[in-house]
Amino acid sequence: MEILLLLSVFVIATCGLIYELVAGTLASYLLGDSVTQFSTIIGAYLFSMGIGAYFSRFFKKDLLSWFIQLEILVGLIGGISSAALFLLFEHAASFRLILYLLVGLTGTLVGLELPLLMNILKDRYEFKDLVSRVFTFDYIGALLASIVFPMLLVPYLGLIRTSCFFGILNVAVAIVVLVKFKKEIKWAAYLKAKAIACIVFLAGLFIWADRIMTFAESQAFRDPVIYSHSSPYQRIVLTHSRLDLRLYLNGNLQFSSADEYRYHEALIHPAMLYSPKRSQVLILGGGDGMAARELLKYPEVEQVTLVDLDPAMTKLFRQNSMLASLNDSSLLSPRVRVINADAFQWLKENNEQFDVVIVDFPDPGNYAVGKLYTTAFYRKLRHALTDSSVVVIQSTSPYVAPKAFWCVNTTLQECNYQTIPYHTYVPSFGEWGYVMASPGPLAQRRTDLPAGLRYFAAATFSQMRDFTADMQPRKVLANHLNNQVLVQYFEDEWGKYQE
Amino acid sequence: MAIIAGGTVTLSQYLACMEKKDKYGHISSRISGASAKTGHMLRDRQFGAPSATEYTDAVIVGGGVAGLTAARKLHHSGVTNFRLLELEPHTGGNASSGSNAYSAYPLGAHYLPIPNNDNKPLLDLLAEAGILLGYHPDGLPIYNETDLCYDPEERLYIRNRWQEGLVPQQGLSQEALAEIRRFLDSMEALRQAKGSDQRYAFDIPVDNSSADATFRQLDQLTMADWMDQQGYRSEELRWYVDYCCRDDYGAGLQAISAWAGIHYFASRKGKAANAETSQLLTWPQGNGRLVQHLQQFSRDQTQTGCVVYRITPSAGEVLVDYYDTHTHQLRRLAAKACILATPQFITQRLIPGGAYHHDFVYSPWLVANITLDYVPASSGYQLCWDNVIYKGKSLGYVNAQQQRLSQEAPAKQVVTYYLPLDHLDPVASRKYAIALSPQHWTKLIADDLEIPHPGITSLIRDVDITVWGHGMIRPHKGFITGAARAAAQQSQWPNVFFAHSDLSGISIFEEAFYHGNKAADALVHLLG
Repeated sequence: MEILLLLSVFVIATCGLIYELVAGTLASYLLGDSVTQFSTIIGAYLFSMGIGAYFSRFFKKDLLSWFIQLEILVGLIGGISSAALFLLFEHAASFRLILYLLVGLTGTLVGLELPLLMNILKDRYEFKDLVSRVFTFDYIGALLASIVFPMLLVPYLGLIRTSCFFGILNVAVAIVVLVKFKKEIKWAAYLKAKAIACIVFLAGLFIWADRIMTFAESQAFRDPVIYSHSSPYQRIVLTHSRLDLRLYLNGNLQFSSADEYRYHEALIHPAMLYSPKRSQVLILGGGDGMAARELLKYPEVEQVTLVDLDPAMTKLFRQNSMLASLNDSSLLSPRVRVINADAFQWLKENNEQFDVVIVDFPDPGNYAVGKLYTTAFYRKLRHALTDSSVVVIQSTSPYVAPKAFWCVNTTLQECNYQTIPYHTYVPSFGEWGYVMASPGPLAQRRTDLPAGLRYFAAATFSQMRDFTADMQPRKVLANHLNNQVLVQYFEDEWGKYQE
Repeated sequence: MAIIAGGTVTLSQYLACMEKKDKYGHISSRISGASAKTGHMLRDRQFGAPSATEYTDAVIVGGGVAGLTAARKLHHSGVTNFRLLELEPHTGGNASSGSNAYSAYPLGAHYLPIPNNDNKPLLDLLAEAGILLGYHPDGLPIYNETDLCYDPEERLYIRNRWQEGLVPQQGLSQEALAEIRRFLDSMEALRQAKGSDQRYAFDIPVDNSSADATFRQLDQLTMADWMDQQGYRSEELRWYVDYCCRDDYGAGLQAISAWAGIHYFASRKGKAANAETSQLLTWPQGNGRLVQHLQQFSRDQTQTGCVVYRITPSAGEVLVDYYDTHTHQLRRLAAKACILATPQFITQRLIPGGAYHHDFVYSPWLVANITLDYVPASSGYQLCWDNVIYKGKSLGYVNAQQQRLSQEAPAKQVVTYYLPLDHLDPVASRKYAIALSPQHWTKLIADDLEIPHPGITSLIRDVDITVWGHGMIRPHKGFITGAARAAAQQSQWPNVFFAHSDLSGISIFEEAFYHGNKAADALVHLLG
């Protein structure tokens, strides 16, 4: 009997440390800066355990029953902790507060466990033996947890399943104690039902953890996945490493926080220099708000109209404080009007005209997106432009996919646009291309740029317009709805590159 | 343990229950289409004398593409005092369309290939409808690109995988591939071939084709005979040609004449500034798009639900007697002239001394518009506009939502499934088609689609079935060059004209359009 209780100590200790490690890992995934996160999580957790230990004195009667209740509760809260944190990350205004509340609660409950157990065992052992045995098992459990967590659990189970699994172990301890000490326990039937319900719930969570965060997916990305969500339009995944935060849409990198300024400055500012007017700007795509951030640096910009298909994207980059800090809360600005609509449909119904239009769609990797790069689209876009408006289109890599890049240029030219193709280097993307276009002549109209740019300068632009021998224009067809050659170029060229 | 075991037992019982439940039970279905009952009144009922007579300049009987085209031509020629009588509740014939909450869809014809460049009247129609935007300096038409079929256009399910394009390629032997190349090259040569009269051997309208016996005699063979003669033996090639014959004529290469079989491949020579020769114009509602354009010229003159039962021509006047299904009255129109834009099996019942010539054979068809959650992905090439199953019973399905521009996946997918009923002779097929319940058809269709898409049955929500008892004229051996077709084009009366695609022997929009214009021109000429 006693050995059973000591084995419980071992399990409890392992579980306790696992919850702590899960919380620490999650915090550094989601919030970055792992040293700070781990230190504060460990501190808060240990302190909460102290609070738990203090409260253990108030339990005087029915200790075994209370212990079982406690195990079920620890199992449940610890078990759901990582799933809950992942789910709340998107919605919570202050994620940190929730994180520390949960850590505090788990710590308090875990802190109650050992004192309570020692009270139960105090009549069965000599005090000296008791302390020695309980602490021996406690520390062995801790060692085991600290070894299996990074080596087995995170790589093979993932965080959500790890915490579920240990939650189940905690509840299992409750059930074993229940069965073995049946006679000494009050409310045995009630406790048994409760424990089984918790196990079923946690097992369900374990099985359906994929719904919350595809584990296979977290394997597919280089860095830990901190957020993933399937909207009706796309799969949105955020990863966070020591160096950067990355956004992937349908598995394709959209930006890395480390160098996105290069991409977005090159996207926005050349067009602003070439446009005679800057007051009304349209962004098609760009739901991450980064392009809007660059535009808001110009006081002359009166209104930015951002048309992005996916409300899940614009909501995420408006509400989540960490993401909003990346785009300087551009999506909350009164100068930005966010419209969740299909760009093609919206253009059909639009009667406004814009001075500058930023077209920042995903790469033309499938026939649906390919439609947004066709002559039909650029002709429709013409109605939203004045003769001197300037458009810029992100146009994939002229190095990896030169045919695809020059196809965008040719397509615009076939629709009677003047064009200036240019490119820049974005470390996380490689060499990246854009096409600036206007229905009228393209010439630099102004020289003023906002302060605080990290990369782009007027002088840089002449270099960006220069294409080296390996990126020279190719003879390509224009992209029409009835041939979709761009998708074929893109697939051929990127396919070869990725082989 | 007991709980788990108990749970398992209950679960397996539940699953067994589910299995027994009708796996088609969740699918709603109905049959609509040509009003066979109203139509058969003509055959089965004796009509008396009409109660009232009205006077008009011209009457068009039949509101299919030929009748609507004739009405447009009359309108453009300044003849507006005419009537168009249609048996169905709507005009449009084979090019009719329907719609549901998710998409418009065709009830019959789905597309128009870009016309031959010398078919000026048809190019003008497309320009008038805003489908042809203008001409390139080199003279080639520029089509509205949102009306050209979007890429990807066609795929074929063969050897358990979808390949791009309909010509079998995947897993074929070198010999078969070489034979297919030889066949396509020979079709290309025939496309350019001209007879001794300097006309194209194969042209649209059929009337413009060369009268040169070298080509005309191909009508005396079946397509199968011709392929034997030419040494085309590859199973895949023969399937492909059979599929094409069924697609355009509702019957396979054993029935169709070699002239008509080759016409399918060699008659289309259309060029455009922004499309290839083989490309198509298509719309969610199919050729309903063209019908909607045509309808505007006769909206005020059209009376639907009217069964014309007798035409009495005399010098200077044609009496058109009809039964109005709305008022249940027999009425008469007295007109200066009349166009019968009706198929032969109707025309011959209306005119005095008419006798239906059994050389006119009509292929029965079934068209089903299927609403489903989505078309499940299966191995190989992605969903296209036209999706064909190698050696399938049906011709596969067309994605009615191909011409969407939106990024959003449609809430429900609508596909149009085409099944030529050619496994029995036409009369037996027609009886069989009418006898089957919509549930029965649904099962047949779902089982056919299960071949390339296992599990698709559970995704199907609704099946809207249209049965075309006399879907299209069948150009069987000898029909195109035969006496019956020639005779049917000739009117015994100076003020009665005929217009229908069956007079061409080929049931396509272009032929109906040609005959509609021809009849209207003659009528206008008569009225002076």
